[in-house]
Amino acid sequence: MKAPDFSYFEAQNIEDAIKYKSEDDEAIILAGGQSLLPALNMRLSSPSCLIDISKINNLNEIKVEGDFINIGALATHSDVMNNDLIHERLPCLVDILKMVAHAAIRNKGTHGGSIAYGDPAAELPAFAVAMNAEIILNGLAGQRIVDAKDFYLGLFETDLKSDEILTAIRYPLLGHNQHLIFDEVCRRHGDYAMAGLMARVELEQSQIKNLDLVYFATGDKPNIAQNTAKLVINDGYDYERLKKSLASEIDFAGDLNSSSEMKLHLATILINKILNKLER
Amino acid sequence: MDDIKVNQNPKLGSMDRPNSYIGRSLPRENAKKHLEGGGQFVDDLVLPRMLHVAFLRSPFAHAEMKSINVEVAKTSPGVFDVYTAKEIDEYCKPWVGTLGHLGEMRSPEQTPLAEKIVRWQGEPIAVVIANNRAQAEDALEVIEVDWEEKDAQVDMETALDDNAVVIHPELGNNLFWTRTVNQGDVNQAFKASHAVVETTLDFARHTGVTLESRGIVADWNKAEGKITIYHNGQAPHMMQHIIAKHLEVNEGLVRIVSRDVGGSFGIKVHVYPDEMAAAAISKKLGRPIKFIADRLESFTTDIHARCHKISGKLGVDKKGKILAMEINDLSGIGPFSMYPRTSAIETNQVLNLSGAPYIIPNYKAVGTVVFQNKTPMCQYRAVGHPIAVAITEALVDKAATKIGINLHEIRKKNFIPDNAYPNKTPSGVPLEDLSHQASMDKLLNMMNIDDIEKQKESNLAKGVLTGYGVIAMCEVTNPSPLFYGVGGAHISSQDGASIRLEGSGAIHLSSSITEQGQGTEAIMKQIAADQLGVSMDSVRVTLGDTDATPYGGGTWASRGAGIGGEAVLKAARTLKENILDIAAAIMQTDKNSLDVENNTVIRKNGGEGITLQQLAETVYYRGHELPKGTNPELLATASFLIEGIPFVFTNSAMGCKISIDQDTGIVKIDKFWAVEDCGTQINPKLVEEQIKGGVIQGIGGALFEECVYDDQGNMQNATMADYLVPMAYEMPDIIVDHVTTNSGRSIIGAKGAGEAGTGGAPAVIMNAINNALNQLGKEVVSQPITPEKILKALGKI
Repeated sequence: MKAPDFSYFEAQNIEDAIKYKSEDDEAIILAGGQSLLPALNMRLSSPSCLIDISKINNLNEIKVEGDFINIGALATHSDVMNNDLIHERLPCLVDILKMVAHAAIRNKGTHGGSIAYGDPAAELPAFAVAMNAEIILNGLAGQRIVDAKDFYLGLFETDLKSDEILTAIRYPLLGHNQHLIFDEVCRRHGDYAMAGLMARVELEQSQIKNLDLVYFATGDKPNIAQNTAKLVINDGYDYERLKKSLASEIDFAGDLNSSSEMKLHLATILINKILNKLER
Repeated sequence: MDDIKVNQNPKLGSMDRPNSYIGRSLPRENAKKHLEGGGQFVDDLVLPRMLHVAFLRSPFAHAEMKSINVEVAKTSPGVFDVYTAKEIDEYCKPWVGTLGHLGEMRSPEQTPLAEKIVRWQGEPIAVVIANNRAQAEDALEVIEVDWEEKDAQVDMETALDDNAVVIHPELGNNLFWTRTVNQGDVNQAFKASHAVVETTLDFARHTGVTLESRGIVADWNKAEGKITIYHNGQAPHMMQHIIAKHLEVNEGLVRIVSRDVGGSFGIKVHVYPDEMAAAAISKKLGRPIKFIADRLESFTTDIHARCHKISGKLGVDKKGKILAMEINDLSGIGPFSMYPRTSAIETNQVLNLSGAPYIIPNYKAVGTVVFQNKTPMCQYRAVGHPIAVAITEALVDKAATKIGINLHEIRKKNFIPDNAYPNKTPSGVPLEDLSHQASMDKLLNMMNIDDIEKQKESNLAKGVLTGYGVIAMCEVTNPSPLFYGVGGAHISSQDGASIRLEGSGAIHLSSSITEQGQGTEAIMKQIAADQLGVSMDSVRVTLGDTDATPYGGGTWASRGAGIGGEAVLKAARTLKENILDIAAAIMQTDKNSLDVENNTVIRKNGGEGITLQQLAETVYYRGHELPKGTNPELLATASFLIEGIPFVFTNSAMGCKISIDQDTGIVKIDKFWAVEDCGTQINPKLVEEQIKGGVIQGIGGALFEECVYDDQGNMQNATMADYLVPMAYEMPDIIVDHVTTNSGRSIIGAKGAGEAGTGGAPAVIMNAINNALNQLGKEVVSQPITPEKILKALGKI
């Protein structure tokens, strides 16, 4: 379990990092290293070069800009969890991050790294999709903004171009009647979930007006369940009906800890859990 | 820290005297060393001219190597050489994992590297020797092997079928070993029974997952004809013999050093091909060779354990008295029996231990152990116990339910009474000094079952399934020569201790027992200081070095305190006598008027004493001042072994309360209780750690841990992310208490305490889960009990 040889470049600014990356297709960006370094050591990945962006200044800033809260790519999960602005304006993210691995990993792992890596079992990609977040990408041609729901293309596959680096994520602030409610079912605390759900709810006179259901750990990317959400708005929770609907719009992929059948069941009951949380 | 005092052994004296350390929860000194990162583990060792090795391992469970080409790898940067089986075989004789005392075992010769046929995924076939491990791994990638994959016999249940893949054609079939125990007449007794219950349980393979992975640095010194092996094992003198025998080195010139070891759990007491290869390479090259297993190698090459399917049947009379028990156990051990302890012992213990707490006049047990194309399986903490306890206690619960009596009542009705020892297990193994009745009574007081029954009802109304379990068990500890030695294995059941007073007044103690993190060093020090009358900080301990310690077995099967501790006690008492003899001569008084307290020889009736330092200085430097003929021996050595019986058993009662989320299938352990009777507790805090740590490993087996294989025999979850061990969040409150029945076999009276948690927790958790599921008429019979298995049992998926 020793990484194969690679060269290492410590970028001082984002322009240098982009330049390096655009010149070398085999180079990989290193931020917190919590997914990349184990993959290197297990020789699942053998990049020519690691472009270390962790020393670039100001890429970890968390700030409010108009109707958005902007999280710099290098903010670690711990930075985000301990940030006053997040506690005030996006408190649900604090609860979500508590479920991301363990303290030692959260101290190194970065927000941007998790969003860019796009692990279908991870919380943050689904969160970004559910929040209608905007993903800021910087490349040779300048800056590009992609909606999170268009960013994830397939299994560990994103819209990130080979010369681009993810620099920040912009989350629209939730209004008075808007809520992001989340739940997941894990074998152990801190594990990737067997199934998880991010629900963005808009209420009107205590009734659900709009609902987005975004699942993680269910398929090859954050799975949006549009039709099922409509059923919930119209008719509330009906296990059999919702299960049938979910089965028709998500291609559930089983893993070591839960079969596709198990994931479908959990995805269904997660809706009930979310609705119960909404009532509270 | 030392407020817990529990010495209830009159042979050890009162606790109200100075330096009474036995029975106190003193902090252990080496914990601080490890917290500060000051330990020295095998991988910390760097020797001049040392080379590193990495192994090419089979990617298939069963395949034939048509050809292998290592020429390109030899030219890879930093590579010294690349060897396959034939180069290693010249320096290491093959071994066979069979013993003579348990009936016929059939296992073929095994060599460090497979020559042509590979029989499990992970079996080593070639080794790269390089300047560092990374360069060695680079070279592995350019070794070319032409493979012909063969059908693999993965499933143990079909291993004896007519169309099974026979893994060793020379053996004719895949049978390794079988044993039948038959006491009384079960068939007749079942006919006479008022109720007969049956069940079949499945246990998945799991493994030990030590914090420090296996490692070795082998250093052959040609000039001296001596090999020094730095090894993170549990049994240095056993390894000394193994290395001498297979590398053909004079056994007296083999030195094994096992100092700091980061956990073992029985994983590190076996002979592994990669470690033998590393030692052979050192002898071939005359250079130090380091091999450290990485985590992936650990998962596919450390021994696995459990992997049993067991069916059982229990017959009771109208009042719940057990009349007969019958079990039939099948286990799959991979392609070879491990050397030198064999892979028969787990099944043997299942047969020995099933039904052990109870009077069962008619008992039949059949064990069958087969080969399969998976990682070799062998003894891991609480060998066989989880299977034996789970089948027994599941059947007892079923019988109680069937005839309508309480779960604890049926147990109390059938226990061998506390005053009826010596006695025997249903299989005929001798038992002594146990306390199932007192332990169960204590457990029931702690648990308050009436209250739990009420909660069960009210929770059910809320849709939550609550359940509880209570179990009793016997725990194998302190083995005698009848365990391994009788079968021909060079594994010492005797342990020795050597203790001396030095010129500075310091005490040096060495013992053949080893430390792997459980606090052995601390308890040895407590015994020595207590018995000598010196402060703890004046005792220094050396363990784990065949050149520096007495000969002995090492630490496994919970034998450190009961066997090694007794040797220390005896040696310390002898040294004290010698000290008092010399002091009486110096002080010109009667020996009986003297004692040792706080590092000073005191006059019991007052008056000035002399310090041990003064005494030692007189003996060592000014011996001419001693009266003529004074024995100047300030060194004492003693040995101890268990005679006449196979093991000193410990007993334990455990209970737990669980709740099940019916939507997710997640089991939450609300609380866990354990009562242990391990006789004298030398350090109660360390005993508690053993029980709690053991319970947590048992929770792993019950709910989480499984080596998952696909149909071709590929292990699917060989990483710490995918192989689930319980972590802090999964650890419930564990309440530990004790009953103390001292072992009559020794002065110290200690029995072992390391196995019970791991051996009993899987049974009590499974019983509690089934107690909850039974409310809906459901049950689970397969461990680990995953959320998916619960939901399937509930008919939710």
